[in-house]
Formats: sequence, structure tokens, C-alpha cells
Amino acid sequence: MIWFWPIITILLFYFFALLQSSFLIYFNLFGTVPNLIFILFFILVFFSEKDSYYRLFFCAIMAGTFLDIFSVSKFGISIILLTLIGLAVKKIQTLLKERDDNYPFAYFFSLFLGSLLAYNLLSQNISINFNQRFFTEIVYSSVIAILGFFIYKKFCGLKNKGKQKRFF
Amino acid sequence: MNFSGAEFTNKKKKVWLKILLGLAILFGLVFALNVLSSQIKNSFYIFSAPIQNAFSDAGKSSSGWLGSMLNATNLWEENNNLKKENQKLLTAISTLRSIQEGNQALSAISATCQDKNFATIMAGITGLDNQDMLTINKGSEDGIEEGMPVIDQYNVLYGKIFKVYKNFSQVILISNKNSVINVEAQQNNTEIGLENETTETNSGNIDIEAAENETPLKTEDSTINGVIKGNGGLSVFLDLVPVDDEINNGDILITSALDQNFPKDILVGKITEVQKNDQKPFQQAKINPFFSLENVENLFVITNYKKEN
Repeated sequence: MIWFWPIITILLFYFFALLQSSFLIYFNLFGTVPNLIFILFFILVFFSEKDSYYRLFFCAIMAGTFLDIFSVSKFGISIILLTLIGLAVKKIQTLLKERDDNYPFAYFFSLFLGSLLAYNLLSQNISINFNQRFFTEIVYSSVIAILGFFIYKKFCGLKNKGKQKRFF
Repeated sequence: MNFSGAEFTNKKKKVWLKILLGLAILFGLVFALNVLSSQIKNSFYIFSAPIQNAFSDAGKSSSGWLGSMLNATNLWEENNNLKKENQKLLTAISTLRSIQEGNQALSAISATCQDKNFATIMAGITGLDNQDMLTINKGSEDGIEEGMPVIDQYNVLYGKIFKVYKNFSQVILISNKNSVINVEAQQNNTEIGLENETTETNSGNIDIEAAENETPLKTEDSTINGVIKGNGGLSVFLDLVPVDDEINNGDILITSALDQNFPKDILVGKITEVQKNDQKPFQQAKINPFFSLENVENLFVITNYKKEN
């Protein structure tokens, strides 16, 4: 692990948190903005090594803290939820069949959808409504996550270079 | 074999020890964060405010630019101006109608309170979360307290102060799912105030003087009360309007005297679709709220509005 990786991670989460709460509110769809912090957390966890639990915990604490700073809920809820989601994602990844490309798009998208749904359902203090807004938020976040997936693979997924065209 | 078994047990113990240690650190961290919650959030805000303002400005100009590109060159600006002008006119109509209905004394007091006696603090918007909560850049140091109403310069209701920190505050918007406000409906002016035969000039405009001389058809008290509930996603709906009361598309909703959290006659929204079912005791309606995050730069917190007991 590069020694300055944690610093870059913190700065990225900080930048995304500000972007989400200040810049993107002017690009809201039906009052929703994509959950950039969650997307970044998921991408970092998804592309991490199978046994890199320290990285997972670090990302969960950072992402959870920034999510809780911008919400009215108490500190800790997001940290615990993200830790559990991160562990579940890593566990599912180990159970999935080994492939030439360990990080195919199909795995990413299905795991991301499941994780986002789980996070949204569990983090709501009030009963959640499956209305237009709910689905808009899911779709909006998914589109950004898909972009993030390909950007990460293009610029950071050096180990998988040459195998990126195989999405499924 | 025994040696291997002992080694395995030791390894297992070590793993459990690590898990327990991790959990202890996690819960310690969560506890510390909650104890210092206000200070952490406030410090974060102070440190981030300049960057957030820059992002906010960039977002505003980018979205405006994008909107102009998508529609037409000046369409966005023109639309904004029309909306502002419309809201000004609605405020004026709201006041005029109250006077017409015979509540001159009450309206005068109310208008005086709104125009003169209310002390306000101007605050800039710095953020919005997904639960319809705004962040503004004024806090307890500026005299903000929880429960204070928040409006804009056109007398449009945004919500009330939910949580106050030293240098910033969180505003619960009327579209938040926990928000419930008493409102009253004012009938569309084309149906009430100008329902009589109005004289039109040659150019097609309504002759205001002639219209003023006409007596409105409905002189009885036609106040219809209901509640505005937040629906999330910056949307609201009207509820608890008795089925016997007649509400129509285009009716304007203003805060009611029944609501003790907000001053009377603050603009809330306009009815866009009435949902009436005779089998239900109350009717609902879709509302187009007047508040808009795209068009507003500053909000005003009313600091001296007292709840009526």
C-alpha cells in the first residue's frame, strides 16, 4: 500500500462530500442528488484486495463520518452500516466464481444496486416510500457509479489492464 | 497433532482478539464523535464554508448555463424574472384579498407585522441534503434559535430552523416528510375577485379601475383550511381538506392563523391537481410549492416571531 493512500482517500471523500452538498444541489432530479460518498466508498471497497480489511474499515469510517456530518442523524449509523455492507460485499466477492477479470461489470452493478438499496432502506429513520423520488435517486446514483467504475478501471485498475473490454 | 491443535486454537484466539479490539475501537470512535458532534460539525462548517460557497456559485452558474443551452438563450433568465414578478404579484393579491373580505383591521395588523415589526436575519444557503434539510451560514452567534421561520424576500415560506450550531444552522424545509403546516386556500382571483364582468380595454387588458369598482361575488368568509405535508424530494401535498369545501386548480395557499409556528399570510404554494374521493372524509391536492432553490440566493430568518399561546 502506498503510504499516502489514506491521505488521498480522505481528501477524495472530503471533496466528494462538498461536491454533493453544494454543487450537485443545482443538478437535482426530483429533489435528489447522487450519493457520491457512497459511490466512492463502494468503488474503493469493490476494487480492493480480498483480504484488505484495514482498507475497508478505513473507508467505512471516513465515508460514514462525512455522510453523518451532512445528515441530522447521530454519528455512527453510517459508519456501522457501511462497515457491514463492505464486509458483505467482500464476502460475496470471494464466493463468486474466479474469472480472468476479477472485477467484471455485472458483479459491480448488481452488488452496487443491492448495497445502495440496503443502505437507503436501513439508514432512513422514517418509513421509506417506493415513489418516483426513491427510484430516481437509485438511477441517478447508479449512472454516476457506472461512470466511476469505468474511470477507476481506466486509470487505477492497472492490474487488470488488457482485460477491460470483457464486461460480462 | 496436539501441537497443531494448540497452534490452531491460538490463531483462533488471536482472530477473536482482533475482532474484539476492532469493535472496541469502532464503538469508542462512534462514542467520541457523538460527544463532540456539535463541535465537529461546526468546525467542519467553518473550515469548508469558503469551498462550499465556491462550489455553490459554480453549481448555480453551471446549471443556469446548462439550462440556457438546453432551452433558449434568455429563457431561463426570463422565466426566473417572471417567477419573481409572479410571486410579488401573488403577495400583493394575497394582501388585497384579505382587505376585500372585510378583515381590514386584522390584515392591517398582519401586514404591519410582516412589513415592519418582524426582525429578520439574512443568511446564505450553503448546502442541501437528501432529506430536505438546508444548511445556512448563520448560527447561534448571530441570534438564530430553533423553530424560527425561514422565508425569502418575496414572502415565500421555506421552513423553520431545525438545529442550530455556533456558526451555521439546519433548516427543515416544508417538503421534509416530518413537516406539517396549517394553511388556508385562497380562491383563484379569476373566479373570485374578478368574477363579475370586468371591462376590457381596446388593447385587451383588464381595466383595473373598472374591476376595482365591481363588487366581488363572494363576500362571505370563504376561507378553506387544510394542512401542507412534506412529501420529500422538494415536493409537498395538501391534505385534510373537508370534502364539502371546494378547492380548485390554481388556488393559492398561504399560512393560516391556526398555525402557531409561522406568521399568517406567508405564501406556500399553488394547487395543481385536486384529488377528491367521496368515500374519504378529506380531499388531497398536488401542490406546486413556491419555494425554489434554483432562484434564491439568500433566505431570511424571522427572529422575533412569537408563538401565540
